[in-house]
Amino acid sequence: MVGSAALFGRTVTVIANDAQAVNPRFPVVYFGVIGMEEAYKMACAVYESIEADKDKSVGEKRPLVLIVDTPGNAPGKVEEIFGMNKATGAYQLALAEARKRGHAVVAAVIGRAISGAFLCHGLQADHILALPKQYGTIIHVMPLSSISRITKMDIERLEELSVKSPVFASGVDFFYRLGGVEEIVPSPAGLREAVARHIEEIDARKRAGDDTHTGPWGRGLLGAERGGRVTRPAVMALMEEEFDAVAARYLK
Amino acid sequence: MDWKELQSASFLECTARRRALALVDEGTFTELAGPRDRMTSPHLPELGEAVSFDDGVVTGVGLVGERPVFVISQEGRFIGGAVGEVHGAKMAGVFKLALRAYDEACRRHPDEPERYRPAIVISFETGGVRLHEANAGLLAHAEIMDLMQDTKGKLPVVAVIGSKVGCFGGMGFVAAATDAVVMSPQGRLGLTGPEVIEQEMGKDEFDASDKSLISRTTGGKHKYIMQDCNVLCDDRVSAFRDALCALLAMPYEELVKYRRIGSYALVKEQMGLTALAAALNPFDAKDVWQYFGNGEADALPELGTEEFLAVARRREREV
Repeated sequence: MVGSAALFGRTVTVIANDAQAVNPRFPVVYFGVIGMEEAYKMACAVYESIEADKDKSVGEKRPLVLIVDTPGNAPGKVEEIFGMNKATGAYQLALAEARKRGHAVVAAVIGRAISGAFLCHGLQADHILALPKQYGTIIHVMPLSSISRITKMDIERLEELSVKSPVFASGVDFFYRLGGVEEIVPSPAGLREAVARHIEEIDARKRAGDDTHTGPWGRGLLGAERGGRVTRPAVMALMEEEFDAVAARYLK
Repeated sequence: MDWKELQSASFLECTARRRALALVDEGTFTELAGPRDRMTSPHLPELGEAVSFDDGVVTGVGLVGERPVFVISQEGRFIGGAVGEVHGAKMAGVFKLALRAYDEACRRHPDEPERYRPAIVISFETGGVRLHEANAGLLAHAEIMDLMQDTKGKLPVVAVIGSKVGCFGGMGFVAAATDAVVMSPQGRLGLTGPEVIEQEMGKDEFDASDKSLISRTTGGKHKYIMQDCNVLCDDRVSAFRDALCALLAMPYEELVKYRRIGSYALVKEQMGLTALAAALNPFDAKDVWQYFGNGEADALPELGTEEFLAVARRREREV
């Protein structure tokens, strides 16, 4: 479902995947699955928002609010024949463009945020908020049983390790430690206020020309700060150092 | 094997390092964060799994003519080329360096953007997120898509797909988001891999043991007909390199017309295609080939690349 709404009087674009709907044209699309039609429709809502506010200045542009409860992208033969990878990619590029053009993009995880579907509907936001797990929120790539089957790792050992490893196990708290979620909002009642507060914070950063503390890059910094992903920055710093040593050969 | 010998080798059989070396001009490749640096996954040992000194991806820089070409080459022999924290950071690092090189080229050669414009080439061989470090892998994918958007209007990103694992999962949409896609008939591209479709939806939906079905659905020839692959070439290293060089020789403004997604107009075109998917509801990719004017659809999988290119009718693009 896409449309315009007012949040504390301010016009926002809302993009919420419908966790109850069944798509009669594509049988693998049901209960919140994001298929080709859904992803392109979501992308259109983003491009329409960019178009509508193209003459407004940064900080004035309408925010986009993504409400996330999706179990995955559509896994079907017709989808692969026509290229489902383009649909989910198209929505991500649209959101990234909106963000870089000065729209604040906030995602609120209220249910399932799983794998590729979370990548397209959520992970391109400036900030990501999530309800705690007692509200049924799930963030992961796949359940441990599937990880065990595919990696051929012992399920009992995985379960034991999953208690403390944020890097592969399911959980909103773990995602928070990796910098994948900016804030865990204690209850649904606080969500409206939290979304509005984050929009203001993001707008302020954009007005100040700061594009490093929002979006996937900002969450990379958070991941290091919270101790969940500390190797990532070391790898990039090393590459930069090594490139600098040979740059004269490549930059003419 | 040296650079010259590599050119006549099968791309499908090549390791990631050989592909990286051979795609750029002879003797110009410098690996960054290579195996000697031992930037290994901190997460795999906790699971009792072996590490690889390059974490399954070769990253570096070379030249094509006077242009710096930043290379990402994934290694399917290590956990299927899957992306974890280090692998993803190496990919992101390449994008960062290329964007920096672009700024530098603009500063030094404001009047000759084409000659010195950097490029990124990604030789995909991956199933997407590495499940052993799934959450970090997922976050890395988002970062790469963000950086992909940063390249728009600045420098070309070319996907080359012709290795054993193919290009699936999250890397399927990374490939879709590039400016141009080169594949061999042996290349495979998709979002949900055949095994996962079978596991989720059953054998009636997709029989993952049927090699020709996989080829018809995800292979280079099919993607070429659909316009999801821009250049179809033989499974030979030199064929991929020639295709890359030809793309980079195009004016940037022409090359970006190969994009499939990344603008409202392109999304509208894809929505038209999705409406066709619903109307046609094909049982097999062959039904779609026939719809686009390939009467002899049964014969297409058997043709050599040259013959195929001579007879294949492609979807007509609207944008």
